[in-house]
Formats: sequence, C-alpha cells, structure tokens
Amino acid sequence: MSSSTKTEAGPWLELRQISRQFGGLQALSEVSFQVEEGEIFGLIGPNGAGKTTLFNLLSGVTPASSGTIHWRGQAMQGLSPDRHNRLGIARTFQNLRLFTGLSVLDNVLVALHRQPQGSGLDALLNSSRFQRRQSELRQRAMQLLEELGLADQAHRQASGLAYGDRRRLEIARALATAPALLLLDEPAAGMNPREKEQLCELLAVLRQRHQLTLVVIEHHVPLLIQLCQRLAVLDFGRLIALGTPEQIQRDPRVIEAYLGGSR
Amino acid sequence: MIDNGLLVQMILGALLGLSVYLPMAAGQLSLATPAFYAVGGTLAALLSTQDNAQAGITLGAMVGEMFLAAGLTAGLALLVGLPVLRLRGIYLAIATIALVEIVRVAILNLPFTGGAAGIFGIPQPFQQPLGYVLFSGGLLAACGWLCQRLEASRLGRSMAAIRDDELASRCMGIHTTRVKLTAFVASAVLAGITGVIAAHYLNTWNARQGSFDVAITTLAFVILGGSRSWLGPVIGGLLLTALPELLRPVGDLRLVLFGLVILLGPVLFPQGLITPALLERLGRWKP
Repeated sequence: MSSSTKTEAGPWLELRQISRQFGGLQALSEVSFQVEEGEIFGLIGPNGAGKTTLFNLLSGVTPASSGTIHWRGQAMQGLSPDRHNRLGIARTFQNLRLFTGLSVLDNVLVALHRQPQGSGLDALLNSSRFQRRQSELRQRAMQLLEELGLADQAHRQASGLAYGDRRRLEIARALATAPALLLLDEPAAGMNPREKEQLCELLAVLRQRHQLTLVVIEHHVPLLIQLCQRLAVLDFGRLIALGTPEQIQRDPRVIEAYLGGSR
Repeated sequence: MIDNGLLVQMILGALLGLSVYLPMAAGQLSLATPAFYAVGGTLAALLSTQDNAQAGITLGAMVGEMFLAAGLTAGLALLVGLPVLRLRGIYLAIATIALVEIVRVAILNLPFTGGAAGIFGIPQPFQQPLGYVLFSGGLLAACGWLCQRLEASRLGRSMAAIRDDELASRCMGIHTTRVKLTAFVASAVLAGITGVIAAHYLNTWNARQGSFDVAITTLAFVILGGSRSWLGPVIGGLLLTALPELLRPVGDLRLVLFGLVILLGPVLFPQGLITPALLERLGRWKP
C-alpha cells in the first residue's frame, strides 16, 4: 500500500488531539484519528457535532485551536486553504459553493489552473500553442464532466443546474485540482434514493480511477455503511466511536447519540 | 454635436471605467482609480514643465512619461494593495477612498505641485484634438483587446471565480491574493497612464482632478455600462462623459437630467447596459 511519494513511514492523514473553540462553544475537543491511504472514511454524527468544522480544519479554512494535523508526513498548521489544495487536499461544500455566474465547463476549467496553459505571451497572441493547450484543458474538463454524468450540461450556467447535478459538479471541480485526498461534505444531500445509489457506485469508481483517499460526511448512514471501510462518529465535538461499519452499528454510545437516551 | 475635443474626454472616461472594472472583475470594489490617475497626471505635469514650458513636447517624451507613470503607479499599487486587499466589500471601498483623499491632500500641499492653482502650461504633443483622439483611441483599442484575451486566459477565469466565491477559489488552490493584487496593479497602471494623457490634453493639472467625485463618476461608468464584461465600462464611460455635454442645450437642467440617468440607470438596467445575455445574442448574430 505504501506509495513512492510518501517520504516517511507513517499515517497518510493523522489528527492528533484536535480542538477548536468558537468563543465559548467547544466545536471540537481532542479529536484524534488516522486515515489510511486509499481508504474511504466516513464521518457521521448528529447536527452540530462538529463534522463540517473538522472539514474546515482539514482544508485550512479555519485553524485549529490546538492539536496537530499531519498529511503525508507534513504538519499542516498555519497553511492557507490554497496551500492545502496544492498539497493534494480538495473538498466540496455542504452548502454548495459553485461559481454560479460561470458555465458548468468553466467551473471545472477554473479548477484546472495548475495544468499547463501556455505562457502569458501565448495567451496574449492567442498563439497556436495557447489554443492547443486550451483545447486540451477543455477536453480534460469534459472528461471529468463525463465521469460525473454532466457532459450534456457543460454549457449551461452552473446556477441553472438541478440540485443533485450541482453536488456532482462540486465533485468534478474538486477532482480537477488532482487531489490525493478528497473531502466530501454531504455529497448525497438533496438527492433521491436512486441518485444516492448511483453516487455510491460512482464514488467507488472515482476512488479507483483517481487514486483517491476519501473522507465523507453524510447523514444518510446506509450509504456510508455500504461505502466506507471505517467510520468515525462525532457527538458534541467529541469522537465517540471509531471502527468498521459493523462495529459502529453495534456501539451503544452511537445508538444513544442518535436515538437519545438517559445521560 | 460630438467634436474631437469631447471625443478625447469620452475615450479617457472609457479608460478610467476600465480601470475601475479590472478589480471589480475579481470581485474587489476599489475606488482607488482617481488616486492613480492623479499620480500619473501630476507626474506628467511636473516632468514636462521642468525647464522651458513653452518648448513643447514630443510624442516620444509623453510615451516615456507614460512608462514612468506605469512604473510608479504599479509600485504604489503593490505597496498599498497588499494590506488593503485584505479588506472586503465596503471596507475595501472605504480604504481606497482614503487613499484617494491622501493623494489629493498630498498633491494640494506638496511644495512643488502648485498648490490649489495647480500646474499650468503643460505642453501638448498634438496640435489638434484629433491627435489625442487617435492616440487615446488606439490605447483604448489595445486595452479592449487585452481584456478580451484576459477573459480567455487562466488569470481571467481565476478573477471570475474569485468574484463569484473567494473561499471556494482558495479551496481550489487559486492564489487569490496574487490574482487580486494583479488586477489592482493593472487598474492602477491604466489609471496612471490615462492621467498622463489627460494632463497633456487639459494643459493644466491640479489636485481636484483626482477627487472623490471622480471615484463616484467612474464607478457610475461601470454600474451603468455593466460590470460583467469589459465592454460595459467602456460604453458606460463613453456615454456618461458625453451626456453632460450633449445635454448642454437644456441649460441648467442638464445636471438634474444627468443625475436622473445615474439614478434610473441601475433601476432600469440592474445589470448595466451590456449584459452577458446581450453579448450572447450578439455573439450568435455574428457570422
């Protein structure tokens, strides 16, 4: 399983004693876990459990109050979101943050900004090299849209897409940055059962094809049980369970967190 | 009705409109354009009246001044932009208004800029307004072409993305600070070289040329013309500069009418005159 890019033996992604306060609110307290390379790792928990906060920390959007995150042997504290992405971490957003004024194709083209573009002079002169590069980029973008089943909508404005399609476009856009770790924040929210089923199969395919490690937040637990090798359960900012889907389903603390109980 | 003299002013207005548009294309509401315009104009006025003001100036010398102004405004924009572009929305607008005021007061009070009266007898490289029309028209065409190329390039796409959602852009790995700063510097350089041409054309330059009023007027160019394409501020700049002159026959009422246009423009055309839908229709109509 160890890859050539990995410089030191150690976990692919490791969180150590991660905490985050917002004023008096303890959004996360001392969360520690590791994610292995190539794994599909699920994150569940009731609303307000700190799942999205955790994603914000993992993608550099908000800094941790304390604790450390190591990604492929590198300490990630203090790095900006764009630096996180350049180091191979991409994400989607629970509340959808597409570039709504741009076309579906342009949303993906924007995210392909690290691919060869031709020089500034090429762009100015619209040289044949620039045109060739741009058409390669468009092909690459169309290929990604194809994978997500959006190719026929490439020229629509992103704001005009159906809800499920917008969620898939978020994934296409994140994939365009060629990540090694993809953080999916409720990718199936608002999808109908059929779409959820298809998404589940799609994610497995994408993981293979793009050699991804996936961390998935999802409220629809059956989907995660089907998809993930391991699950972590957050409740009130604490990690209350970690294990295989079978272990999680039997865990009394998880049942209590979800169904309530005497505390 | 439109003589060459007015045409020059219209073209200069369009160039200033583009200068306001560039940061806005990256989602930044900057009103700093008059500050850089004033720096360019003052630089040209000072340099060209150094020795013998009656000696005249060659076109080459003016182009030289434009390069100097470009360098100076670019440096200034980098210096100011790094801290100021951390601000967003209305806060950025306020900070850039402050810059406009600082530059205005500095030019008003510096010992060598002529105080309130300003600098007179700035030599002209062209004897007829037509020369200015051709020169600034050429510059406007070049800028339009640059903007057109920009929209097709990575930088233009990144600017559009930041305008739509800055956080999402950052999470896609876009170096948003660099992109915003680039747009800000380009805006400053354009305003600076426009100032150089304006100083020579107007023959005189003072601190009022770069006042807060100019910030609002140039912003109106973009709002009325439309901020979704570079054509918007160009059309807006041309129209709104011409309007007060074209309304001259109605006498004192013209300023009221001008105000009404600025007021009703955004109401009737919330996206401006040049909208993406309009451009698409034109694009389809083209062979």
